[in-house]
Amino acid sequence: MTSYSFFLSYIPFIAEGALWTICLVGGGIGLGFIIGIPVALGQVYGGRTLRYVIEPYLWFFRGVPLLVQLFLFYWGLLPSIGFKLDPLETSILVLGLRSGAYQSQIFRSAMESVEKGQFLAAMSIGMSRGQAMLYIILPQALRISIPGWANEYAIMLKDSAICFSLGVMEILTRARYTAIATGMALLPYLFAGIFFILLTNLGTGILNTAYKRLRIPGSIGV
Amino acid sequence: MLEVENIYKSYGNVKALNGVTFSLEKGETKVIAGPSGAGKSTLLKCINLLIKPDRGRIFLEGEEITSPNTNISKVRQKIGFVFQEFNLFNHLTVLGNVMIGLTKVKKMPKEEALRRAKEALEMVHIGEDLWNRYPSQISGGEKQRTAIARALAMDPVLMLYDEPTSALDPNLAAEVLQVIKELSRSGMTSLIVTHEMSFALEVADEMLFMFDGRIVHAASPVELLSNPKHELASRFLRLGGGNGFLG
Amino acid sequence: MDFWVEFLGSLLNGLLTTLQMVLIAAPAGVIMGLLLGTMRVYGGRIISSISFAITAVFRGFPLLVTLFILFFGLPEVGIYISPFWAAVTGFVLCSGAYISEYVRGSILSVEEGQSLAARSIGMTKFQEILYIILPQAIRRAIPSISNEIAYMIQYSSLAFAIGVQEMFSVSKTFNSIYFRSVEIFSALAITYLAIEGIATYIFKIIEKRFRVPP
Repeated sequence: MTSYSFFLSYIPFIAEGALWTICLVGGGIGLGFIIGIPVALGQVYGGRTLRYVIEPYLWFFRGVPLLVQLFLFYWGLLPSIGFKLDPLETSILVLGLRSGAYQSQIFRSAMESVEKGQFLAAMSIGMSRGQAMLYIILPQALRISIPGWANEYAIMLKDSAICFSLGVMEILTRARYTAIATGMALLPYLFAGIFFILLTNLGTGILNTAYKRLRIPGSIGV
Repeated sequence: MLEVENIYKSYGNVKALNGVTFSLEKGETKVIAGPSGAGKSTLLKCINLLIKPDRGRIFLEGEEITSPNTNISKVRQKIGFVFQEFNLFNHLTVLGNVMIGLTKVKKMPKEEALRRAKEALEMVHIGEDLWNRYPSQISGGEKQRTAIARALAMDPVLMLYDEPTSALDPNLAAEVLQVIKELSRSGMTSLIVTHEMSFALEVADEMLFMFDGRIVHAASPVELLSNPKHELASRFLRLGGGNGFLG
Repeated sequence: MDFWVEFLGSLLNGLLTTLQMVLIAAPAGVIMGLLLGTMRVYGGRIISSISFAITAVFRGFPLLVTLFILFFGLPEVGIYISPFWAAVTGFVLCSGAYISEYVRGSILSVEEGQSLAARSIGMTKFQEILYIILPQAIRRAIPSISNEIAYMIQYSSLAFAIGVQEMFSVSKTFNSIYFRSVEIFSALAITYLAIEGIATYIFKIIEKRFRVPP
């Protein structure tokens, strides 16, 4: 049937959206990492004033729907401070701020689960607090966090589809255009869904292999 | 009352039970002793069908319970099992633990179940003040006695005890051993796996020594104390039992 | 100001729709999750595979994709669902899939000894699951389940994409007319935070009520 082959001709178009999707996910997780680590450190080691900043940040970025955050930033906050960012850039910014909130919690609980004795041992061989953090605590905490990050990747991948609402040309947006153009809705969206599943499995597969290679033998809870 | 005939059980290459045969008359109490890994726990769990033996037959009150036609639930209701780790139901109170078998398995009406549960709890000396407590709120000795009450409430013809005091501090173990002794003296047919040798000598009509999946020696306490023939048995007795013997 | 009266009035309507969706989808999602999770652990090979497949699909598809398939895709095979019910179905499927994983995990975390004890007093497998395992498993899963419901409240905003007149949809419309974006979406954000706060509070009470020991 012509409409079936019509749909097939759109597959490359939809698949190309993966590039934008990966941008969103990569940018979001990357920005989230850069934000998340300091926030986690601030929560564990910081004082009370720091908490007055961190807690509202966490509350807002984990509690407000992504969709609302995207629109708030794109139509509201950014124009009001005169910052001009395109849909892709805004999306990455918002995804990153949101991911930072979640990643900070992953990282914080990983740090807290590194045994207290490790820190004391490091100090007792003469390391300063900074050195102990850098050479002993952080490496262990980072490894323990990997499963949490695999999870964050999976979530971020699905959240990236929400950026269709700002018009970013990622997978779902393109599937939608295809549905409108071909008049067939089921096939494009099923294809998009399966494509997302493949990307999820690919990513978590890579992270899990990395985790197995880097794992500390005998580490807790994994 | 209980006849165990030639029971074999393997896990992969490991032969847990290697041809076990013995019997228990009504009202008798026998104690099974031996080093860790001798198969004592496996044997007990075969009797109440928690584990299925590879070969061999078991008869309870004349009926073969290892046959494929047996109603496993009915058999288990006739046999009371007390675990080393208590295994009380965490989400139920002491009273709830004892009653649930009566209400859900035996389908008793609630008032009758309540009455029987209270009787069982009194038999193990668990006072009313503990009846509404949860397992996490009572001591180890109280937990194990509750577990015994839970088994007793089902009105079993045979009680199996799998190292009932091994998970308890010595001062808490005494109260549990006392209860087991009273039950045995009142005529409850009992099979006990334990390392508590002085207790065993007091309560057993016969002691069975297991090693490597087989019963290697059987003797009454009197015989053992006066004339210990089997080397393993006497070594075991001398060391006071426990896990010091061959690890 | 007139604007605020109009906006907040419409927002309230949207809120009612949002609440309707969530109050129907949340219990349904929990039930679906319980069933799927239990099936996955205790079903034979066929049942647990089916349960696994359903879980994998609806965890793997972004919620938006599920919504689009339900609302735009199904008509192609002759099934027509209204926007509201398509949204509710999508939420149930998505949350149910995630909750089934939490339920599965918490069932597996109940110690084997509980199962042994249940069998030793003569309980059948069914009795064991119903009276001993599930009561403990569900208690352990309550925090994860309440977290999932909080997510559902957030993601209910996606229903706008299939035409449901819920809170976000209303705000978007007002924004395209009045362009007072910061005010509109800030008010919206605060509303979501408030609902979530109330939900969290309710769940804390539920958790306390079912804690053992009390």
